[in-house]
Amino acid sequence: MDAAAPYAYIAPFFVIFAVFGLFPTLFTFYVALFDWNPIGGQTFIGLKNFTDLFSDERFWNALRNTFSIWVLSTVPQLILALFLAQLLNNVRLKFANLFRMSMLVPYITSVVATTIVFASLFGRDYGLINGALGLFGVGPIDFKADTLASHILVSTMVLWRWFGYNTLIYLAALQAIPKDVYEAAAIDGAGGFKQFIFVTIPSLRPVIIFTVVVSTIGGLQVFTEPLLLSSPGLTGGAGRQYQTLTLFLYEQGFGNFQFGYGSAIGVTLFLLIVAFSVINFLLSRRISSDD
Amino acid sequence: MKAKKKITAILAGGAALALLAGCASAGGGDQADGKITLNVWTFGGMGLDEAFAQYQEENPNITLKVTNAGGADEQAQSLTTALAGGKGPDVAAIEIGYMAQFKAQPQNFIDLNTLGAEDIKDSFLDWRWEQGVAANGAVVGIPTDVGGLAMAYRTDLFAAAGLPTDRDEVSALWPTWDDFIKVGEDYKAATGKGMVDNVSNSIYNAVVRQGDEMYYGNDETDLVYDKNKQVRKAFDLALDAVPISSRTGSFSEEWNAGMNNGDFAVLAAPAWMTTYISQQAPSTTGKWDVAAVPEDAGNWGGSQLTIPAKSAHPEEAFAFIQWLMSPEQQLAIFQAHGNFPSTPELYDSADIQDFTSEFFSDAPVGPIYAKSVKAIKPIYEGPQQRIIDTAIQNVINQVENGEEPAAGAWDAALKNVTTALKG
Repeated sequence: MDAAAPYAYIAPFFVIFAVFGLFPTLFTFYVALFDWNPIGGQTFIGLKNFTDLFSDERFWNALRNTFSIWVLSTVPQLILALFLAQLLNNVRLKFANLFRMSMLVPYITSVVATTIVFASLFGRDYGLINGALGLFGVGPIDFKADTLASHILVSTMVLWRWFGYNTLIYLAALQAIPKDVYEAAAIDGAGGFKQFIFVTIPSLRPVIIFTVVVSTIGGLQVFTEPLLLSSPGLTGGAGRQYQTLTLFLYEQGFGNFQFGYGSAIGVTLFLLIVAFSVINFLLSRRISSDD
Repeated sequence: MKAKKKITAILAGGAALALLAGCASAGGGDQADGKITLNVWTFGGMGLDEAFAQYQEENPNITLKVTNAGGADEQAQSLTTALAGGKGPDVAAIEIGYMAQFKAQPQNFIDLNTLGAEDIKDSFLDWRWEQGVAANGAVVGIPTDVGGLAMAYRTDLFAAAGLPTDRDEVSALWPTWDDFIKVGEDYKAATGKGMVDNVSNSIYNAVVRQGDEMYYGNDETDLVYDKNKQVRKAFDLALDAVPISSRTGSFSEEWNAGMNNGDFAVLAAPAWMTTYISQQAPSTTGKWDVAAVPEDAGNWGGSQLTIPAKSAHPEEAFAFIQWLMSPEQQLAIFQAHGNFPSTPELYDSADIQDFTSEFFSDAPVGPIYAKSVKAIKPIYEGPQQRIIDTAIQNVINQVENGEEPAAGAWDAALKNVTTALKG
């Protein structure tokens, strides 16, 4: 009987995961093969949803938007997080814990509140950003109408939400680097910048890989920010200029009652994320075996 | 020790199951003392709060549990989710733009004829009633208010632009939409600002509803959006009006601020919109007035109250709806919130005919909307109506924002609709 105990301890996770994680995922694969009205009938249509999807320019548009927003949010975010972590790791920093804790404030703030504030900051007529740009004779920029500007707007919100989380992860990793490595580097004549490039970055490599993987998975699923900006409607702007894949999924499934088509988008997104994770895994294995 | 371990293990597993069971049994819920709880799902702007409070007071055996989803879109999405999961509230409001989509699946709702809908049918506008009737004849929803069309305008801004401010004179300025655009050009020449909020709200939405049909002919297989001259006319007029637009998107932050700050002077206003304006721009009391809409009458807005099939208390829910949408209550809602009644027996009553609005410079909004509503011609609305509408209006918005050229915009709109209907 003792042999069963460990399984019982971990059962809660697996039971809940099976019900709320595994089953919906598998069910999505099934629904994707149907013309499925959530409140009406279902007809089996095989892979038609997928062939339709790959010839649907709205899908490619959403895919482009998703990647653009992912790059625009992840790259600056990780660089900023690394920089902030370095600052927070400084032994001469006073109130270090206060600053460290405050990094998490954007992360624990409701996304809805964040979006309202950012939408207002980036407003066309009365936004603070455009007011500031106006002092330099630039703009006003219509951040929600222009494609690139809208991507910057969404990316800024994503960055705002996640930079603190990544900063703390980097900070934890920084603190785990032995001091004597830096001392040895200093004796060899490496200054602060050289120490950062040749000691800090290589030591952080596994953690950087981890944050890239997590940001990729999160970045491909950006949903709340574009959804809240996209009002009224679910198209992510009149030209679908900031509609991400998940918002496209939601529009089709819940706005237009096309659960089958929405599920096909979900399955495609799932496969994309799997592909990206595999690439990440292979890359990171190669990088770590370089040593 | 062994026994203790086993018990803990069982408890842990049991806790997980209890959690799941808890999820399953949530909802429903009548109180032990025989009181009945009605779950009512509404969205913003319906103006029903006082009526709910009154019903609650008069019916102590019923507890109303009202959930306001926020917008009509959010409401439709949560109702979809609930119905797809085989659940649903006792009363669900559905905005007219979504009604055709929901009533195409009438099995999700109780046919209100089985509860006595036939008896109250005659008190409602015929065409408004039909909007809640499914193709198989089932009465899915009872009408709430009716939109009607009029033009809300700022008298102070009109005076500053050298235009007349009297509502009859203003109405006389724009017998046709072309005249309306000319007035806009004069306004722009005098002030340098756009006259209307945006062209999809104040031009397209109004014009497209003035015909005999919109995107559908007489039934759901008869798609006419590409052939209907009224749709094309509305589209072209909207593009012509881009120069007189302040390019302020409806229901956006700029729109709300613009009402206060005078960024635009005119917007198309169905009855329910007058409430929205007065709530968003309380500082402009007395600076607004209401004039006639150019050309014809049309309906924009309104909702239906439905009873999902899974409701545990359909009789009580229907009694509640019947009370809520009775002429007396609709009048009270109109007086407090401006949502115009869908029960024509009120239209010639003194309560409506003598009703003026202080916010709109004492304009006789009662008779203005009564006249506008009486002239409405019924339009058949099909299941994909809203999807077609979004696809077309998105292109208009893009042209207005300078993201798309006006040349070829109609073809782009048709292509957008084709893609949307396929997906």
